[in-house]
Amino acid sequence: MKIRFTIIFFLYAFIFSIKAQDHLSIQLDYANNLFNSRQYYDAITEYKRLQFFDSTKTFNYEINYKIGECYKAGTKYDDAIKYFSFAELSARNEDEYCDSKTQIVRTNILRRTTDRALQLCDKLEKDQRFNGKSDQINYWRGWAFIFADNWENAAKSFDKINSNHELKKLAERTDKAKVSVTFAKVISYILPGSGAIYSGKFLSGLMSLGWNLLSGYWTVNSFIEDRVFDGVVAAELVWLRFYRGAVQNAEEFAIEKNLDVSNKSLHYLQNEYKGIKP
Amino acid sequence: MKTKTNKRFIVAFFFLIVLLNTANCQLPTDGNIFSPQNRLQFGNFLYKDRDYLRAAEEFKEYLKNESNDTIVFRLANSYFKIGRFAEAADNFKGLFFGSQFSEETRLLFYESIFFQNDYKSLRKLAEGKIYSSSKYANEIERLKYTSYFLDNSVLPDENIVLKYFPDSVQSQMINFYQQKKIPQHKSLTTAAILSTLMPGAGKIYTGEIGDGITSFIATALTTYLAITNFNADHQFRGWLFSGLAAFFYAGNIYGSASSAQIYNAKIQFNFDKEVKLFFEQRNYFLPKIDY
Repeated sequence: MKIRFTIIFFLYAFIFSIKAQDHLSIQLDYANNLFNSRQYYDAITEYKRLQFFDSTKTFNYEINYKIGECYKAGTKYDDAIKYFSFAELSARNEDEYCDSKTQIVRTNILRRTTDRALQLCDKLEKDQRFNGKSDQINYWRGWAFIFADNWENAAKSFDKINSNHELKKLAERTDKAKVSVTFAKVISYILPGSGAIYSGKFLSGLMSLGWNLLSGYWTVNSFIEDRVFDGVVAAELVWLRFYRGAVQNAEEFAIEKNLDVSNKSLHYLQNEYKGIKP
Repeated sequence: MKTKTNKRFIVAFFFLIVLLNTANCQLPTDGNIFSPQNRLQFGNFLYKDRDYLRAAEEFKEYLKNESNDTIVFRLANSYFKIGRFAEAADNFKGLFFGSQFSEETRLLFYESIFFQNDYKSLRKLAEGKIYSSSKYANEIERLKYTSYFLDNSVLPDENIVLKYFPDSVQSQMINFYQQKKIPQHKSLTTAAILSTLMPGAGKIYTGEIGDGITSFIATALTTYLAITNFNADHQFRGWLFSGLAAFFYAGNIYGSASSAQIYNAKIQFNFDKEVKLFFEQRNYFLPKIDY
C-alpha cells in the first residue's frame, strides 16, 4: 500500500514539474507569436511576464535577446542595447555570446553611434571567441561606415571579406559618384558658375557665369567712363552679389549632389539588397 | 532490517529530489500566470522596474476582479508617472473617500491638474476648497500660487503668495514676483517715437545699438545723396535716393517697434524659462509620495 502511495506521489510530482515547464513553453510560444506578428509592445510584455515567472531562468537568454529585438524593431535603441547586454551575460555558449554581441554592434549602427560600433568591432576582433568570424566583423564595420556616410572606408572593409563583394562595389560606386565640396567652392572662386557645373547643375552654372560677366562688364565700363559712383554701386550691389552667390551655390549644389548619391545607395540597400542588414 | 532501511533511504532520497525539482520548476501557485494574483505580482514587479505603462495594464486587469486601494493608488500613480495626468486624476479621485490614502490622493489629484497645465481649474478647485486635504493644505495652496507664475494671470498680493514658500527661497521668490508684476518691458510707442525723431534711436533704446547706428547712417546717407543729386539737377537719381531714404526712414520706425516687441518676448521667454527651471529643480516643493 505504502509503495503504491509513494509511486502515486512521485508520478504526481513529476507531472507537476513537467506541467510547470510546459506552461512556460506555452508562454514562450505565445510571446514568440506576438513577436512574429510584429506586435512588439505586447511581445515585450509577455516576454517580461515569462521572465518574471521563469524562476529556473531556463529561457533567460532567449527572453533577453527577443526583448532586445523588440526594442530594436521599435527604434528604442538604448533599451535594445540594454537587453542585448543582458542576453550577453546570460549566454550559455559562444554562439549565443557572439550573437548578442553582434546585435549590440548592429544596434549601435542603427543608433548612428558609429564610433561606438567601430570600437566594438575592434574589440571583437581581439576577442578569441570571435576567432574565424573576421568576415562578420568586417561586414558590420562596413555597414557602420555606410551609416556614417564614409563610403571609402566602407569599401575597404567589404574588400577584406571579398574583393568582389556586392557591397564593396556599391560603396566604391557611391564614393566615385560623390563630388568634392571644397573643390567646387575653389573653382567657383576662380570662375564663377564652374562649381555648379562640376556638381551637375549646368544651366544654373551657365546662368551664374552669364550674370557675373554682365555685372563685371557694367562695373568695369563704369570705371572706364569715370562714373566712379556707378562703378562702386554696380560692384557692391550687383557683381559682388552674383560672385558670392556663385560660390555659395557651388557649395550647396555639391552637398546636395552628395546627399542625393548617398540616398540613392541607401535606398538600394533598404529596398533591393538581399543580404543581412543592421 | 538493512533492506528496510535501504528502502526507506531510497524513498526519502527520491522524495527529496522530487521536492527540489518541483520547487525548482516553481510555477505561479495556481498554475495560471494570467490569474489576478499573478497579474498583481507581475504588475508590482513592473511598477518597481519603473515600467509604468505595462504595470498600469496589469493593475487594471487585476482590479477587474479584485478591489485593493494600494493597487488603485499604484494604477493612478503609474498614469501620473507616464504623463497621462487626466487618467491619473480620475483614478486618484476614486480614493478620496473611505481610503487610507485619502489625504495623499487629494494632493496627487491637484498635482495631476497642475501638470496638465490646467491652472484655471486648479485655482478654482483650490479656492472652492473642493477635495481639500487637511494634511496637505499648505502644499495645495503653494501649488495654486506657483501656477500664477506659470501663466498670464494677475498675481495676488505679494505677502499672500510668498508666505507658502520656504524661507530659504524667499529672496528669489520676491525677485520673481517683482519681475512678473513689473516686467522690464520696453514700450513699442516710445521706440517708434524715438525713431521718428532720430532714425535708429528707437533701436538703441531696445538695446540694438549696432542696428540703430546702421539705420541712422543708411537714412542719413540716402537723404544726403538725394539732396546732392537734386542740387546737381540729377532728377532721376534725386528721386531714386529720396525713395530709398523714405524707405529706410519708414523701415527704421517699423523696425524699432518690432525690435521692442522682440525684446519683450525675449524677456518673457527668459523669465518663463528661469521660473520653470527653478520650480522643476525643487520638484515644485512637493513631497514624494509612493506606496
